[in-house]
Amino acid sequence: MMSLAARSGAFSPYMQATAFTVAGPLKALIPGIVVKGEKFLVDPKKPFLCRETLSGQSPKTGPAVTVSINARAGVRFAHTDIKVPDFSDYRRPEVQDPHKSSQESSEARRAFSYLVTGATTVVGVYAAKTVVTQFVSSMSASADVLALSKIEIKLSDIPEGKNMTFKWRGKPLFVRHRTEKEIATEAGVNLSELRDPQHDKDRVVNPSWVIVLGVCTHLGCVPIANAGDFGGYYCPCHGSHYDASGRIRKGPAPLNLEVPYYEFPDDETVIVG
Amino acid sequence: MALAKSVYNLLFRRTSTFAITIMVGAVFFERMFDQGGDAIFEQMNRGKLWKHIKHNYENKDEE
Repeated sequence: MMSLAARSGAFSPYMQATAFTVAGPLKALIPGIVVKGEKFLVDPKKPFLCRETLSGQSPKTGPAVTVSINARAGVRFAHTDIKVPDFSDYRRPEVQDPHKSSQESSEARRAFSYLVTGATTVVGVYAAKTVVTQFVSSMSASADVLALSKIEIKLSDIPEGKNMTFKWRGKPLFVRHRTEKEIATEAGVNLSELRDPQHDKDRVVNPSWVIVLGVCTHLGCVPIANAGDFGGYYCPCHGSHYDASGRIRKGPAPLNLEVPYYEFPDDETVIVG
Repeated sequence: MALAKSVYNLLFRRTSTFAITIMVGAVFFERMFDQGGDAIFEQMNRGKLWKHIKHNYENKDEE
């Protein structure tokens, strides 16, 4: 491009950015003088290993910049005139002395470093576990909600052969005191004739008491107790028959009546939930 | 420093054993920290907690 501009002949004045050099108004404060530098000997056989080996080789006062036409430029080592910071406050006491081998104390220093790392991590793991546990347990139900979700039933109020309905977690709960005859009948049912095969002893804790949710497994109606073909429960909505163990025997419902978790703290009471 | 050396070689040298050491250490540290904190709390509130004054009320109920 420059050559094109130079050779463009008659057009060259129009293709140059500046046609003439104009002397500027500013003058250099100090005129550049070429000073012959003093001879500075570098011993090339002496290896540069560290700051100490440099101390005999390099100038110590100020930047030594020399300019000469034929001789080589002066050697300036930046780290000769920059003060090296003192890190001895940060060094371990074993490595304060530069003339002592650091390998003797390396095992102890390494073990200490790992010990500190490990201890910090242990505390960190504990803190993280505690925080996570706090947040997760804050999501679980509190004690008053848990207390409301239980129902305590006095069993002596329910005579034999009778079914009572309670409200538990917004749903009807059937508690049935079975007679000996009912217990024998339900225990003797052949599992092959059941739609949802489940033995009677798997559905009760105490055979005298059947505790089931009063929600029909078909569409959620409330069955009628002591009704139906099997002497248990009968759902009036679509005609599902349950036996005295709450198992589906006839009708559209697919599953047995649900058994909630319950326990008998003593002979007189049952706690459901 | 023989102890430090053997501990380093046994536990800290490999990352796997280092991680296991941290996990096991966290379990024991949790036990120690929690139980120590509870012990300090009960020491500072001696005589004020229910389990310290419970026997006073139990005796009255039995009579």
